[in-house]
Amino acid sequence: MGAGSGRAQALPAMHSPVNWALLGLVIERPSYAYELAHRFERTYEGALSLSSVSHVYTALATLRERELVEEVPGTQGALRSRRRYQATTEGLLEHEQWLVGQVSEERRRQRLLVTQLGALARTPERAIEVLDAYERACLAELASAPAAGEATPGTTGLVARLSAEETRLSVAAKIAWAQYARVQLRSLADGKSAAPAADG
Amino acid sequence: MLELENVSKRYRDGQRERIVLNDVSLEIGAGELVAVWGTRRSGRTTLLRIAAGIEAPDSGSVRFQGHDLAGGEQRSLGEGIGFVRKRLRGNEEQDVLEQVAAPLLARGVSVERARELAREALSRAGAQECLTSRVSELGSGETLRVALARTLCLSPALLVLDEPVATVELGERDEILALLRTLARDGVAVLFSAGEPSELAGAQRALTLGEGELRGPRAQELAPVVALRRRGV
Repeated sequence: MGAGSGRAQALPAMHSPVNWALLGLVIERPSYAYELAHRFERTYEGALSLSSVSHVYTALATLRERELVEEVPGTQGALRSRRRYQATTEGLLEHEQWLVGQVSEERRRQRLLVTQLGALARTPERAIEVLDAYERACLAELASAPAAGEATPGTTGLVARLSAEETRLSVAAKIAWAQYARVQLRSLADGKSAAPAADG
Repeated sequence: MLELENVSKRYRDGQRERIVLNDVSLEIGAGELVAVWGTRRSGRTTLLRIAAGIEAPDSGSVRFQGHDLAGGEQRSLGEGIGFVRKRLRGNEEQDVLEQVAAPLLARGVSVERARELAREALSRAGAQECLTSRVSELGSGETLRVALARTLCLSPALLVLDEPVATVELGERDEILALLRTLARDGVAVLFSAGEPSELAGAQRALTLGEGELRGPRAQELAPVVALRRRGV
């Protein structure tokens, strides 16, 4: 992956979502560690959290070791708190590949859920209980998500608007799926063959 | 404000009896925005009609502001409850202002006062630009806003809307949902049905209806969230 040095390529895959999120912020604009900690809190509030500012230093050390970020020329050798970091070309490429890879990661998690539910098929009533709880969680997620129409206009509210629309569409699909799955499980529980699809 | 308790409704479908609502309970408080989605023929319109007092359940109780709707103790439709229809009835060539003022005139309000209240309601519904239009000239989103204004004229405490954003364009969908949230923040209880699950987004409480059962969080579970939102947090 990428054209980094042999040492960086030999390192195992980086799984920490905090590291990847931090890399995203550095790509957005070069920053000091302290500034990154603040931006991280504002941007990923509710989704990811840092244990402390020193967590940022640890993550930056990892990103540097992997040649994904580098110190901005002119700040090298300064006190740790006065160093600014920018993304390398390798960092840009790897971040893009990681983002795209999240699609299959999301699908893997959903398949896992479906498989786990299928494992309860011998006791469909129990599976329906799990499904009910899953659907309630989806409905609560929809209700707690900010509405796209009320997000701040302009580029500052862009993330909020995109996030609201992504939540709306993806959670809605899960709710529709839950209805379909319930019909199938109910049919199984009643000893009937399931309908091919829920009545639209 | 509105309490449905153990409500059941069945329809005869040829030789079969179809259970549309099976022991359904639902509570909606003032200032709450509740959305219900179910597949076609799931009974969501029936649920709304029963909640609005238009239709009576086979069993169970429906209480609005402490009064029994199901027993016909009080005629609440138009007197506390507003049911917003997707289409405007009446003369297609009628002016919007006349359409909106009509329910007030029917209640004996003077023409001048009815027009004043109609203008206010159109403004509240974001349809002030439609004031001089004819009903036949309105787009789907505008029609909904005018229908909403017509209902708001009567100052309902509970608004019931059947698929309000089903036929509107994507951009306008968010604006209409924002309008419903504003009405809820003003203290109106709002209950609406969604034709697609994605239309549930933006409601304070999202529910699903299927096989006669209403599913989702109960009002008490979300009470702290609703209180925070009312305070604009």
